[in-house]
Amino acid sequence: MAAPIFLLAPPRSYTSLVNAMLGQHPQAFGLPELCLFNVEKLVDLWRGSEGPISENGAVARHGLMRALAEIYGGEQTTATINMARAWAGAREDWTSGRVFQEIVAKIDPLVAVEKSPSYTMSKIRMQWMYEAFPDARFVHLIRHPIGQCKSLMAINEGAFAIKVEAIEFREDHCVLEPQIAWYDLNLNILEFLDTVPDSQQIRMRGEDIMGSPERHLAQIAEWAGLRTDAEAIEEMMHPERSPFACFGPINALFGNDPNFLAGPVFEPHKPKIPRLSDPAPWRDDGGGLYPEVVEMARWFGYD
Amino acid sequence: MTDDKSAPDLVPVSDAKPVSDDKKKPPFLGTKRLSPVPINPDTDRADPTKLAPHQEALRQAMLNVFTAQKARRSLERQVQHISPNRNLAEGIKILFDDKGQPPENVPLEDIVEERRRLEYHVKWFEGILAELRNRLVRVKEVEDYAFEMLSKSVDEES
Repeated sequence: MAAPIFLLAPPRSYTSLVNAMLGQHPQAFGLPELCLFNVEKLVDLWRGSEGPISENGAVARHGLMRALAEIYGGEQTTATINMARAWAGAREDWTSGRVFQEIVAKIDPLVAVEKSPSYTMSKIRMQWMYEAFPDARFVHLIRHPIGQCKSLMAINEGAFAIKVEAIEFREDHCVLEPQIAWYDLNLNILEFLDTVPDSQQIRMRGEDIMGSPERHLAQIAEWAGLRTDAEAIEEMMHPERSPFACFGPINALFGNDPNFLAGPVFEPHKPKIPRLSDPAPWRDDGGGLYPEVVEMARWFGYD
Repeated sequence: MTDDKSAPDLVPVSDAKPVSDDKKKPPFLGTKRLSPVPINPDTDRADPTKLAPHQEALRQAMLNVFTAQKARRSLERQVQHISPNRNLAEGIKILFDDKGQPPENVPLEDIVEERRRLEYHVKWFEGILAELRNRLVRVKEVEDYAFEMLSKSVDEES
């Protein structure tokens, strides 16, 4: 069974695009966001959408339902999504790791590529991934803190920052501060990867991939033991060809960032990189990045 | 596409080599998280119930404002959703005169566009219908099972 590749990154770090691009490699299979390791057992994905497990609402199941429909039913329709629900119902007491293993075995010899940014909210979730796949490969994807935070605050009013308690207390009120999420989630990833052998991990900046996709995707492919010929690289330039790069049937519409689903075509570009000393545009006091954030971003190679 | 000449060039990220080629460990390992909310060791997640009372109150006030803003924006979107539906009704009206007949000079493009729009809506409603039918089947199963259990218990009692 081919060891899967997991992308680890906070949300809004080019994960949807990079996951779909790697998944288009002829030897790979790009999955939607399965969110399986958000929970210990499969049935927990159907339990509750309040409080600390609020990221496990119905939308979190769309990716898994679409993947099962495509893999076992050969298409994503209302009927195959219903079949996927039955498939999951029959395995509700399974651990999420066992469910993932069955999916990976089904698509073998293709290499599963998956990213669910919610995994990075807790090291326990990443440990479940590693326990299920001790030979898994991990790509730590990074984005400049200002670009990532701006993007995070533009989605769903910045609700993700609440989920990770990224708040700053001031004298008589408190505000959402997305750079706290950027720092804490990257710290979770770094601490988790410290337990993984060096040969099973690679760190890339999303901006590098956007600017020179052929070169950097080839490097990831080579590191993962996949082909790096021109045909394979060309396939990776077309994330829109993924069966998951569109909205799903009405009973499982999402499974990924809606912006990506609405426009999955990749156009190479050099993203604008702010300076770490620039003011943070989401702050109402003209302040900038915290010293800890600047230090970590410098360590990742930003200036 | 943004090609900003003034942006500094990126230092290659360990030249996209595996981390094994870069032996330096991150100096941040084991450092404190920036979120002021204490971590629950059982879940490894920030747990707001462990905040001091005044902090909890400030956080709740922020959440209330956030929820109110979100609800208002959602309402705005709903209003935008209603408007196109009204436009759709207006659009259909132009295809029919007061006797229910299409006007003689209606452009073919308008008819084709209207036909496509209606097909899209039909597909959408068919999808919803299929989902409702599926739910109905499942509810009926539960109902049948409940009646079966009930009848058994009544038989046993009698």
